[in-house]
Amino acid sequence: MTGDELKEYIVGHLEGKLKPLESGKHDPLFEVQESDLLTVAQVLRDDENLKFDFLSCISGVDTGERFEIVYSLASLANNLRIDLKVVLSREKPEVESVQEIWPAANWYEREIWELYGFDIKNHGNLTRFLLADDWDQGYPMRKDWDAPDFVRFPELER
Amino acid sequence: MILATAELIGIFQWLHGFLVDLGLKEPWLSIVVYCLLSVTVFGVLCLIALFLVWWERKIAGHIQQRFGPMRNGWHGWYQTVMDALKLLQKEDIRVDTRDKAVFFWAPVICFVAAFMAYIVIPFGKGLIVADLNIGILYIIAITTFTVISLLMAGWGSHNKYALLGGMRSAAQVVSYEVPMVASILTVIIFSGSLSMVDISNSQQGNLIFNWFIFRPPFGIIAFITYIIAATAEANRTPFDIPEAEQELVAGFNIEYSGMKFAMFFLAEFVNMFTVSAIATTLFLGGWNGPLLPSWLWFLIKTLLVVLLLMVFRWTFPRLRVDQLMEFAWKFLVPVTFANLILAGWMKYAGWYW
Amino acid sequence: MSGLLTQEFTVNMGPHHPSTHGVCRLILTMDGEKVVKIEPVIGYLHRSMEKICENRTYAQCVPLMDRFEYVTAMSAEYVFVNAVEKLAEIEVPERAEYLRVIMLELNRIASHLIFYGATAMDIGALTPFIYGLRERELIIDLFEMTCGQRLTYNYMKIGGVSHDIPKEFIPKCREAVKIIGEKMSDYEGLLNENPIWLARTKNVGVLPTDLAKAYGVSGPVLRASGVKYDIRKNDPYSIYDRFDFNIPCRHNGDSYDRYLLRLDEIRESLKIIIQALDGLPEGDTLKKVNPFNFKPPAGEMYSRIENSRGEMGVYIISDGTTKPLRVKMRGSSYNHVQVLPKVATGVLIADLVATFATLDVIMPEVDR
Repeated sequence: MTGDELKEYIVGHLEGKLKPLESGKHDPLFEVQESDLLTVAQVLRDDENLKFDFLSCISGVDTGERFEIVYSLASLANNLRIDLKVVLSREKPEVESVQEIWPAANWYEREIWELYGFDIKNHGNLTRFLLADDWDQGYPMRKDWDAPDFVRFPELER
Repeated sequence: MILATAELIGIFQWLHGFLVDLGLKEPWLSIVVYCLLSVTVFGVLCLIALFLVWWERKIAGHIQQRFGPMRNGWHGWYQTVMDALKLLQKEDIRVDTRDKAVFFWAPVICFVAAFMAYIVIPFGKGLIVADLNIGILYIIAITTFTVISLLMAGWGSHNKYALLGGMRSAAQVVSYEVPMVASILTVIIFSGSLSMVDISNSQQGNLIFNWFIFRPPFGIIAFITYIIAATAEANRTPFDIPEAEQELVAGFNIEYSGMKFAMFFLAEFVNMFTVSAIATTLFLGGWNGPLLPSWLWFLIKTLLVVLLLMVFRWTFPRLRVDQLMEFAWKFLVPVTFANLILAGWMKYAGWYW
Repeated sequence: MSGLLTQEFTVNMGPHHPSTHGVCRLILTMDGEKVVKIEPVIGYLHRSMEKICENRTYAQCVPLMDRFEYVTAMSAEYVFVNAVEKLAEIEVPERAEYLRVIMLELNRIASHLIFYGATAMDIGALTPFIYGLRERELIIDLFEMTCGQRLTYNYMKIGGVSHDIPKEFIPKCREAVKIIGEKMSDYEGLLNENPIWLARTKNVGVLPTDLAKAYGVSGPVLRASGVKYDIRKNDPYSIYDRFDFNIPCRHNGDSYDRYLLRLDEIRESLKIIIQALDGLPEGDTLKKVNPFNFKPPAGEMYSRIENSRGEMGVYIISDGTTKPLRVKMRGSSYNHVQVLPKVATGVLIADLVATFATLDVIMPEVDR
């Protein structure tokens, strides 16, 4: 089904839990509340016409004002693609782990825990991953983090 | 005329006579003669080992469509000498936690065991250091010595990779002894003697058709199984698990550097020459052949077998360790024993020429 | 065997190792020769590329994407450039699209040749490495002729490609395609029917289909497990819908199938290159955008392509300024290293090496 049909189908089947966003340019982008994440994910994976059983990528985002997590999903059988966005609060960013639904999420969640500092509940293996074993200097991918020896080039600030 | 004088027959008698003229008496006479001959054989073998290392690199290069060593001399002929000089200058790194005696003696034993087999190998007509009448039995006993040295290297290095490599190699060499000895026994049945000179002599004449390889069916089967078992004995691919670089990063000799490593390395090549020399003597007629001097025939035939082993190395992938053991025990051992029984029956029934 | 006291021991297949492709550390718990538990430890090649990209303009990110996956650098650049062009709705000239397809497919063949050589070398056959690299030299020479570089090309620009191909490119490319097609029978003859090769790779490292889909495995590994999914056909990008090629698919999911499948893919890529060369139009190769002041409209998208290893993706969020807000790079090897413990536990070390080799993992994709 095409992009618009897909949007309507999904919004219809998930009774207002999803909100389509305009900023998704190529594939449909939906925003979902953190509390509804697991139910929505289950429906997306199991529904016959959707069957989003392939998790491509989980990206953590820091827009400067708020934290977001984006799940990029694909359906192998039906050739569909959507993205799911979860907005997290700045003070206490935490989200449920989706590795029960898509086991591929295990390492992606470990990475966003380590680089962004998001708390992933029910993960089971949140240990040091990409950074050094004795890293204690904060969460590097956040926008308000600078490396101690980071040099800014004024001519690049355009 | 020139070819006849290059025959080198009677060098033992000549040396004996020369020393008697000098006034030496028994037992010093025998001791000096044997020492001189052993040192000569040792020297010749070192040269052969150097040549083999260069040759392997050239063969590998040409199989892989490149040239191999080209810079040190014409087509790199003294590359090995340069490599040996370089290894002599390297620091002898010794791990603190090693088992000192075991670590030290492992390369020594490997090197010595590799050379001891050459006492009974006939390099030509009359060119043998000592014609023991248990020649081939002596060689089988000596070539098993390398197992202990590999195990010592694996244990003494205090390194899990080395230990794994040593264990694997011990299992492999001991397993492949059985089909190797059974193939050798097949030839012994027909030659009737364990002495290497007698085996060579019994393949004389009748152009090349007296060679044991040409006495079907047991000859060719025994030759093939012998070559397979010999490749495993010499730790060459496809059986080079003990030194599988890609899995265990050089296996049992991972902690050796400098001259100790060079000893293992040269011992491997000398071992390869040993098993090829035995194959030549037992199956390919030893030093027999028309026109050319006997030592030249021996050298050519042995180098052909060595070439076969080298081509194996650069063509085939490596077997996994359990597949290797399965192949030895479930396939080679029954085949060689069946061949042995067949050969024994043929000799008893008189069906051979 | 009861009553015999044994002990498991830990071996470290450390970051320096000839057969972990790149710097990957595997902590193995072993019971004799059998591997009981594998724990991959990554991060030895972490260069914080995503953070760097947030401080660079879009044009400056392209050479960084080269280093994201340097074996198939053209694909890495292309996925980023594709995302930016879709966001900014830039129309790329026809000739540039054809050139991009030719370069992408040549890069795919080069990567598969390296796979062939490295896998054969890991399993012990030392000669195919030289053969694979010899043919790759033909392809690398073509790249050098076009953009001057052999490994990290900086060839794709936002709006087209940076250099047009010289006159000698087309005949040399046809000749390279012909030579590689002929040599394929050499490669197959050397290893395909070899009993030792079959014993080492058949039924080794079997990846069942549902495990593959659950762990996000893509590319040749997924296709060898029975799922016929190729982004070039299922979700076409660039001008791939104009070319006629097959998607090979195999069903056993063992190392032998993965090896055979990549050899089949080389043949399909050769077909695509010939079709692209035949249909190459004239025209200009670049629709110029100002590299310093390029501001795509705000938005976000996930662009994905079929790399030689699997699905390579880039999730870009643009906020209307000259620098991206977020560039998330997704490499397929990340998922493949994650699935390794599930596939290679309970086997001997030699099988672990064979499985890891046929999964075709490249560490810069994992660590970024």
